[in-house]
Amino acid sequence: MDEEDVVFRALAAPTRRKLLDELRRRDGQSLSQLEAKLPMSRFGVMKHLGVLEEANLVVTRRRGREKLHFLNPVPIRLIHDRWVSKYAEPLAATLSGMKRDLEEEDEHGEVSRGRDRAVSR
Amino acid sequence: MEKFPEAGTVLYPGDTAAVFEIFIKTTPERLWQAITDRDLRAKYSFGVGTESDWSEGSSYTSSVPGVIDIAEGENLEVDPPRRLVQTFTALWSDEVKDEGTSRVTWEIEPVGDESCRLTVVHDQLKPSANGQIYGGWPMILSGLKTLLETGEQLTTPGSLRYSGAASASD
Repeated sequence: MDEEDVVFRALAAPTRRKLLDELRRRDGQSLSQLEAKLPMSRFGVMKHLGVLEEANLVVTRRRGREKLHFLNPVPIRLIHDRWVSKYAEPLAATLSGMKRDLEEEDEHGEVSRGRDRAVSR
Repeated sequence: MEKFPEAGTVLYPGDTAAVFEIFIKTTPERLWQAITDRDLRAKYSFGVGTESDWSEGSSYTSSVPGVIDIAEGENLEVDPPRRLVQTFTALWSDEVKDEGTSRVTWEIEPVGDESCRLTVVHDQLKPSANGQIYGGWPMILSGLKTLLETGEQLTTPGSLRYSGAASASD
């Protein structure tokens, strides 16, 4: 399997996406910390983390006796750049600027100045 | 993808860190050069060059001269072509200046099939660090891979933000 296959396969499971969400919320967690967040056995969490590590979406580092898990967004960035850098660049920038403005509008009841920035780029 | 044993930097208790890892088909020497050569660096770092004499204890600056200062710091460990440890003080806005000084460790490890694993550990961050401080790394590393593997530059929105800024008037 090539690198992208491994990434898509790792992302194609709700539990593993949930693990990534958990690391996005708080990066650098131990197996025990992650296990406490999911209704799953320690073995199950280990297995899913193994798949994410193989796809390089999770990397580990030691701190004292603990092995901590970090979200590595780089493989997703590579997939993003593979397509977004080739096609529709100005459109993508405008759309993501619009999406942000609309979401901010929902939160604050008014359109922020973010849109001006996106357009002037 | 083959799984390799974890490498490198051990984190300190209470350390807040972000870790970025990428595999690049290149040699450690070419990778080291791409990180430390001012003009090569600019090609995948939003157009921003980094200048230093790369001796241990020396300083470095990342900027587009006359346009914007991005970061500065000290080269704490310089071990070509394997390991570079730097302090990092962001300068591009008042907001990021408030984040103070953190640490960036570049680790280069040759792995099978004429590839390298490059890991960037950005640590000694404030506990609730502004994500802008380390948020640029995925784009930078993706651009570095593209440059070394294809000789091309990424054209993703934002990735060339300051390219040509020194000569353009806008």
